[in-house]
Amino acid sequence: MIQNQLKNRFAKIIIVAILFAGCHKADTSTPDTFPTTEQTVLNDFADNIAVPQYADLQAAALDLNTKITALNTDATDANIEAARTSWKSLRTVWEQCEGFLFGPVEDNEYDPQMDTWPTDANQFDSLLNSSNALELSDIENLPYSLRGFHPIEYLIFGEDANKSAAELTDRQKQYMMSASADVVNICNSLYSSWTEGSTTFSQQLKTAGNGSTVYETKQEAFNAIVGAMQGICEEVGDGKMKEPYEAQNPNIVESPYSNNSTTDFKNNIIGLQTVYLGKNGSTGITNLVSERNKSLDTKIRSQIAAAISSFDNITIPFEEAIINQRTQVQQTMTALNSLNETIEEELMPFIIQYVQD
Amino acid sequence: MKKVWIIFLIAGGIATLTRCNKADVFPDDGYDSRLSGGAATVFDATSKAFTHPISGMSARNLQFHELGDAQFEQTFVSAPAPVNSGLGPVFNNVSCISCHHNDGKGTPTAGFNNSSLLIRLSLPGKDANNGPLPIPGFGSQLQDKSVFSSMPEAQVNISYTDVPVTYPDGTVVTLRKPSYQLVNPYIPLPATYELSPRMAPPVFGVGLLQAIPESTILSFADPDDLNGDGISGRPNYVYNDVTKTTDLGRFGLKANVDDLAHQVAFAFQQDMGVTNYIEPQESTEGQLQYDKLSDDPELPDSIINSVIFYVKSLAVPARRNVTDPDVKAGEQLFAQISCAKCHIPTIQTGVDLSLPQISNQRIHPYTDLLLHDMGEGLGDGRPDFLATGTEWRTMPLWGIGLFPKTNGTPFYLHDGRARTIEEAILWHGGEAENAKQQYMNLNKTDRDKILKFLNSL
Repeated sequence: MIQNQLKNRFAKIIIVAILFAGCHKADTSTPDTFPTTEQTVLNDFADNIAVPQYADLQAAALDLNTKITALNTDATDANIEAARTSWKSLRTVWEQCEGFLFGPVEDNEYDPQMDTWPTDANQFDSLLNSSNALELSDIENLPYSLRGFHPIEYLIFGEDANKSAAELTDRQKQYMMSASADVVNICNSLYSSWTEGSTTFSQQLKTAGNGSTVYETKQEAFNAIVGAMQGICEEVGDGKMKEPYEAQNPNIVESPYSNNSTTDFKNNIIGLQTVYLGKNGSTGITNLVSERNKSLDTKIRSQIAAAISSFDNITIPFEEAIINQRTQVQQTMTALNSLNETIEEELMPFIIQYVQD
Repeated sequence: MKKVWIIFLIAGGIATLTRCNKADVFPDDGYDSRLSGGAATVFDATSKAFTHPISGMSARNLQFHELGDAQFEQTFVSAPAPVNSGLGPVFNNVSCISCHHNDGKGTPTAGFNNSSLLIRLSLPGKDANNGPLPIPGFGSQLQDKSVFSSMPEAQVNISYTDVPVTYPDGTVVTLRKPSYQLVNPYIPLPATYELSPRMAPPVFGVGLLQAIPESTILSFADPDDLNGDGISGRPNYVYNDVTKTTDLGRFGLKANVDDLAHQVAFAFQQDMGVTNYIEPQESTEGQLQYDKLSDDPELPDSIINSVIFYVKSLAVPARRNVTDPDVKAGEQLFAQISCAKCHIPTIQTGVDLSLPQISNQRIHPYTDLLLHDMGEGLGDGRPDFLATGTEWRTMPLWGIGLFPKTNGTPFYLHDGRARTIEEAILWHGGEAENAKQQYMNLNKTDRDKILKFLNSL
């Protein structure tokens, strides 16, 4: 009996203790590593992902310019092939950079300056057939739909990705020279915006919630990063792939001249994966998520991996796949939709719930 | 004994839960003051804050919204083209997003790829429907870009002169007064014409504004200033060329458009030169640069419908820092010095059968959607239906604190002349002169509280 009463009293004390403990986060008694991880992830994102990838972009743009200069000097098929390879490498870097489309790339319109789609074919032809000057400064004043990757793509690949160097006219050569110099300048500006000046964007991101004038809280910075992940996932699954798929219209795919669209899409999601996992051993969003919700982390990792590998099932150019490999295209879009849903409905709320500074 | 324990537990439980809740977080009226758009509010304070769909829409509506979202970003190209055909022959920009950056405002320049400012033009006088009188060869909007085969109607030079303003406490703020010159017209401009610069406004929350009952808007009106507070508030009535009726204007910077469908249709036709079923004629029809193509309407009906639905179903970003004491004090001062007489804080929407999420919502747009004389300093001298040359529609203030995020560099007022919210306040004149004077007479601490409040919107 006495023992029972004691047990009872003990139970009551526990209940009261629990009631009072209710307001406190039980884990605050032990040092919480979460805020430290937040800062590390932001630092690593800027220093190990964004800045190095923009540096790679700069280098890739310069390489394309070099190859195009060589092609201009000596219009051989080997040189046009080298230019094509370089164009594709530049696209690989750029599409991966699209995994984090926020900040200067967007605010200063570097993205539309070099990657507006579609190319205005009528105006492009009119301009080539005219005697208007095609120096760099002339290209810089053109509408975005006549600048950047896709006009260059058209010039070096031709309608069916098999253009010979001999087909290049003098005007076309002039255009590709100026357009690729323009791309070099844009990529340089993009890189500088993260690295040069008194307040670099890199600094703005790393001081989120701690003096940054762009991100008053860390939560805002993470919202931007995760929002960009979601944005690219949605753009690929719901836009770039779905629109031509539903219309069964090969004319509206992203990189139609180079047959590079599927690779573009895959690289977009690889870019997203880099943001999530980190790069070269750095931390990523995964480190935050796994500290609080291991199963969500596992889910996101596996959904990203599934989406990326599903692209390999599309074995013919995307222009044809929307007609002849519809099941495979559909499967990839489904994988992207699942990932998109997880980011939107679980990862974004996770950030809002746990990133409180 | 047991009963005592139970009572103790319950009391303890209530005390504990109460402690957790922090009762003072919630305002006495029982409404969460963060919800600027009622149920159509979204919690995002990043550069994407204006770009979110209203939550809780049906799958069908969400899909329609997303279709419009994709279209809003599409770049149009000259006709004929397999995709996005119909740009020009003259235009202001190539896509919706290039002016409405992040669904927000943009940059107050004209003629560049990222420009968000356009010029409305007219001859003195009125057309048959009481609207602005178009200039032959130019129409009533200046298109300052063109496709390769045409010429821009003219180019716009914008220059600014500094206008220092001194507060009673000695603080000096330098405003910049713009002036606009049209140069290199493709045909001679008439000797006299009226010119009105307009910057692309944010496009979120417009579904809610459309759902405000006409009677509510009219209840704010006081055209003859019967209450003698120096503030009139006049409705604009505008001609709708589709329905052939004259309706209450609520969109456009002079309340010069009556509904969203029209607003979107005009933007496609006038700003991009893309004809559609609502406005099927090229902006250049009857002019020298008419393209004479038989491709009109250039825009598929489903696309313009989706874009109309897209803007209608864009959510309003939630307020931040609503419990901050300075913000609360700023809110009181805002009302105290009469700002809230035109920037009406709280309005109840009516019913829109197609979208329950915007129906019967208690919203905080900070506008009365009416016209007010804002003084000569802001005046454009170009009447637009009933709006005089000094009248403008009260700008909604929701989201204004996020402009630095959504826009990179923020710009305020109808032509983006103000670089800070403070500058925008100091430009107020006419009916708002009194409120501005009261603002200027506050001490710096109180002025900062008002700014802090506005930045929480």
